[in-house]
Parts: sequence; structure tokens; C-alpha cells
Amino acid sequence: MLDRIKDLSALDGISGREDAVRSYLISSLPDFCTYSVDALGNLLVQVKGQTKAKNRVMLAAHMDEVGLIVTYITDDGLIRFTNVGGVETAVLLGRRVRVGEQGLIGVIGVVPIHLRRDEDELKFPEKDSLYIDVGADSAEELNGLVAPGDAVVFDSEPYAFGHCYKGKALDDRAGCAILLELIREQPAYDLTLAFTVQEEVGLRGAGCAAFTLDPDYAIVVETTTAADIAGAEGEKKVCQLGRGAVVPFMDRATVYSPKLFHRVQELAGEKGFLMQTKTMVAGGNDAGIIHKTAGGVPTVTVSFACRYLHSPCCVIHQDDIEQMRKAVEAIAGELANA
Amino acid sequence: MNSFEWLKKLTDCDGTSGDETNAAAVAEAELKRFMPCGIDRMGNVVGSTGVAGQPILLDAHLDQIGLIVTAVDQTGFLKIAACGGADALVLAAAEVTVHGKENLPGVIVSTPPHLIGKDDKKNARKITELSVDIGMTKEEAEAKASAGDRITLRAPLKKMLKNRVCGASLDDRCGVLSILLCLEKLGDLVKELPLKVVFSANEETGGSGARVAAYTAGAREAIAVDVSFARAPGVKESVRAKLGKGTMIGFAPTLDHAMSKELQQIAEAEHIPFQFEVMSGRTGTNADDIATAGHGAKMALLSIPLRNMHTAGEVIDLGDVEATAALMAAYLKNKAVKHHA
Repeated sequence: MLDRIKDLSALDGISGREDAVRSYLISSLPDFCTYSVDALGNLLVQVKGQTKAKNRVMLAAHMDEVGLIVTYITDDGLIRFTNVGGVETAVLLGRRVRVGEQGLIGVIGVVPIHLRRDEDELKFPEKDSLYIDVGADSAEELNGLVAPGDAVVFDSEPYAFGHCYKGKALDDRAGCAILLELIREQPAYDLTLAFTVQEEVGLRGAGCAAFTLDPDYAIVVETTTAADIAGAEGEKKVCQLGRGAVVPFMDRATVYSPKLFHRVQELAGEKGFLMQTKTMVAGGNDAGIIHKTAGGVPTVTVSFACRYLHSPCCVIHQDDIEQMRKAVEAIAGELANA
Repeated sequence: MNSFEWLKKLTDCDGTSGDETNAAAVAEAELKRFMPCGIDRMGNVVGSTGVAGQPILLDAHLDQIGLIVTAVDQTGFLKIAACGGADALVLAAAEVTVHGKENLPGVIVSTPPHLIGKDDKKNARKITELSVDIGMTKEEAEAKASAGDRITLRAPLKKMLKNRVCGASLDDRCGVLSILLCLEKLGDLVKELPLKVVFSANEETGGSGARVAAYTAGAREAIAVDVSFARAPGVKESVRAKLGKGTMIGFAPTLDHAMSKELQQIAEAEHIPFQFEVMSGRTGTNADDIATAGHGAKMALLSIPLRNMHTAGEVIDLGDVEATAALMAAYLKNKAVKHHA
């Protein structure tokens, strides 16, 4: 399972450029699956279970990751960019990135601490002053190598450390990995899977996927901000690594059905998986569009608690992987026959 | 071994100021190919050809900036301080290695969106307000890490376009490489020169390594190789050096003008690419300490232009390292001619 997450984290797919992730997922689908790719690029998978399900349950995870996009190449060969999805300047300065189809290694420049004025020691530069240096000294040197519109991703090696696992794009490749794990063997009931596009730029893919698949219920498998870090106390931690699947009652995009939320809490006891909820109303995900698609779709979100979301170093807890698998499997089974 | 592979070897080991043991072992093994050498009580790698005569000292510093553990907090995160001039602006969600009882990979915390205040949008948090996540409980963390452990930024050396490379600790392992390349260029001549080499400890924390090594070497003439600022967007106009345009010959009141001029003349005669670096007083390098250690020494400074100093994204041009090596070698060849005359 860690291998899956590692493979998926290493693939590059900012919003709108999910091709490599989609190809990997398609090549990983077992025989009992059929699939189609819609106009937006969502990968829709029909999974034939051992028995026919009473209800159509759609499991969704997004393929895209946050990153950067090339906007302009200066005369002296530097690359200007803007962010795709929420990326703070704090996680960009002096960092390594890969640029364009060829994955050119670049560095996001920063004025060295020695050359900054005292009052600027801790001050972030303006976002539009940032640039990527790939080693060129003129625009001509980048002809055929980099062009406006090219994708830029963090150059960040996935690795295990302590009880945790670190990599770029775990939001939401970790979710994609859980869905693949669920269909490693033929599941008990029929399922539909939606690997969605463009979540990070405003939940643009999942609605169409849900419209096409027309499910009775949906489960969004995601990652969500955990703030269980030094200095954060009580509810401000929101959720914690190693405490199991995170099932929210509400976030900034969805008010979840109380009935379903309570049923999931009961299931955790019955089926023996570890779950927690979010102690703040924060964040949002594809559930925000799925639940209001067509005639409405009752939706549950099940997330990994993840530290440093939207950075080159997303961090999840290794013990949560199994809890996530068990939680999603149990909830899917329950909804299939509800 | 080409320059890239040699530099990779020199940068794949850690050596934060005051704890240069691992980097010293690698650098010592490399220097040993050219002259007898060892490690002194300051942690410097020191070598000498043992040839009689007025010794000439070559210096590049071995240490790199990093962080140092100050405490393990109650949640198992490590509290930190700077070890050398670390830059708080580049640390949020950065990949690091904690050099505890074993090498522990980790991540520096970044502030989650809901905890970002108005000030966090504009300013980075101070290093002492950050902590390092090593994915362990307090008890586990305490068993593996403790106050005083060094932390380095993780960024294995990688190739960019042309001759450019990026990584952490290029300041000043690329200087170490330039001295090794110089010795390689000199070939058998090394054994005829009264040459001393120091790969010095503690430059980033005050220069104590080079000062002691210079005193011990008793050199009356020395060349230090360090990195210096290259032009980049946002840096002040007075920074003129460009990546890939050659070694920077230092001119400063604290450097020996005749040596600087001689280096310039040799560079011109030998067509070695060079640029000027003019400073008004101290140089902010080991040259300041070496020149005034013991009886004092005539001092020259060569610098390799570098972008993004003190980050995991330091960028240099290998051509500039080679130009630095070529100029030092040509200078020493001239000395050899005079030595024999």
C-alpha cells in the first residue's frame, strides 16, 4: 500500500493536467472493472462486485494536485509563474521544482538573507516578483524546453519517517490509493469509482462525474488539514494523525447529513475502525459539488488527517492507511445496502 | 570522476558548523590522494606536502549552515535554533535530516491555513518559533534526538541546464572541490610545492577553524575560496557577478593588492574567465581570519558566484568552479617556477 502511495505521489498532475495519474490508474484496474473517461478527463469506473448492490454507491478521489503554471519567460531566461490551487509563498522560496514536459529542475529564487534589509529579514516577497531559475540566461535558451502554460510541480521525494509518510500531492493521491486498494480483490458489492479532475481549482470535475454516474450515495475519499503540531491546542488541532479516518459533520463546502454522520459513528464501533471528526468547520472538497448534483446525493467524506497540506511535504500517519481502508470499505458496504 | 560526481560526493555528507565529522571524513579521503593529511583539534581537515620553503595555504570551508535542536517538546516535535546564518524565509514545510543517534528524516512545520494570522501572511515565523516533525511520540523522539543535534536541509545535488547545479551546502563544498580540482591540475607538481591545504570548520559560526589552521600552518601567503553573491532579481545593484562568467577575484583593503593583481594578470594571460569582487573592508569570509592569524599572511580571495545562498536551492555554475581551480593552479605553477629559480 505504501508503494502505491509512493507511485502516485511521484506522478505529476496539477489541476487540468491529470493525464499521467489517469494513465497509471487505468493500468492498475483489475479485470472486473470497466471504465470510461469523460469530456473533462474524469475517470469513471464500474466495479462488478460479487453480488448486485441495492444502491449505487460512488466513491470519489481527486487526481489533481496543487502546483504552479508558467506564465511568462523573461528575456534573461527566468520563468514567471502563478499558483494552481492554494499555494502559499512560504512553501516556495528557495525550493526545487520540476518544469514542463521534460521535468527541468528549477529553483524558486530568493534574495539571500545577507542582502535583505534588516526590516525584511522575515518578510515574504511579493508573489508576482517570484521566478524559477532552470539555469538559462536568455529566453532563446528555453526555446522548445519551456513555454507559457507548462505545468510546474514540487520536486519532493516521498519517504517514510517515524510513524509517518511524506510526499507531495498526497492530497489526494492517498485517497486514489485507497480506492485502488478497495478493488484489489473483487468487492462484495457493485461499486462505481470517480477519479476526478480539477478539485483544487474549485471542485470543477466531480459534479459532472456524479451527474453521469447518478449515484444514490457518494463517499469522498480525501485528505484534510491536521494541525496537531507543536503549539496548537485543543480544537485548533482540527484532527490528529494516527487517530484514524476523519469524518466531518460540516465543512466550508458541505453540511453533511446528520443521519449518515451518526450512522458512520455507529459503524466504527460495529466494524472496528478508528474514526475521529473535525473539531473546526474548515476546508472543503468534492463533496461540496457532489451532494447537490442533479436530484441531490447524500454524501460522506472520509479523510486522512494530513499535516502541511498544499506544500511539497504532505505528511500522513502510516497507521491511518489501514483505518482508512477499513472505514471506506465498511461505509461503502453499509450504503450499498441501506 | 567528473566535477558533478565529485561535488555530489562532497555534498552528500553532512557537516553543520561545529559538527563537521562526516563531511571531514569524505574531504580527508579526497585530499589524501594528493598529500598527507589529517584532522586537527578544531575539526579542520589539514594537509601538507611537507616540502621545505615558505608555505602557501589554500583554504575552503567545510561546514554548512543548518539548525540545532534546543529541546524535544511534549508532543515529540523538536524545537530549534539557527546554527550559522539559516534563513527563516525558506523553512516552512522544508525537508530536513536530524542528525541524532541516527539520521532521522523530518519536515519543518508550516502554519495551517486556519492558524495563519494577518502577520503570518506577510512574515515568516522566527526560527525559534518553528519546530521539526520527526513523526515520533515524545518518548521515541527523546530516545533518538536531543539538544545539540544538528539538522541539515535535504536537497541532493541535481543538474540544471548547461553547467548549472543546485543543492544544499554548495556554500562552500564547491570551494573544497575547486581546491581538489586545482591539485588534480597541478599533478606531480604538487609534490614539489610547499603547499598546505585546510578544509576548515566553523566558518559559518565565526571562522575559528580557519584562524587556528592558519596559525598552525604558519603560512605567510594564503588563498581562500568561498562562494559569493551572483546577480539575481531583487538583489541590490552593487552585486555585479554573474553565474557562469568566471571566478571572482577579490579586491579589498584587507586583501593583499599585489596578490589580487597577480591573479588578475595570470587570468588575463591564461584566458581564464574572471570577474571582479570589490569590497570596502572585511570580506565576510575566512580570509579575514587567516590574514591576521599568528604573524599574519598575505591574503587573496577567490569566490564562486552563487544564487540563493543559505537555502536548499543554492545554484552555481560548475564552469566557475573549474575557472577558480584553473586560476589557483596557474598561480601556483608560477610560484613553482620562482621556487626553482
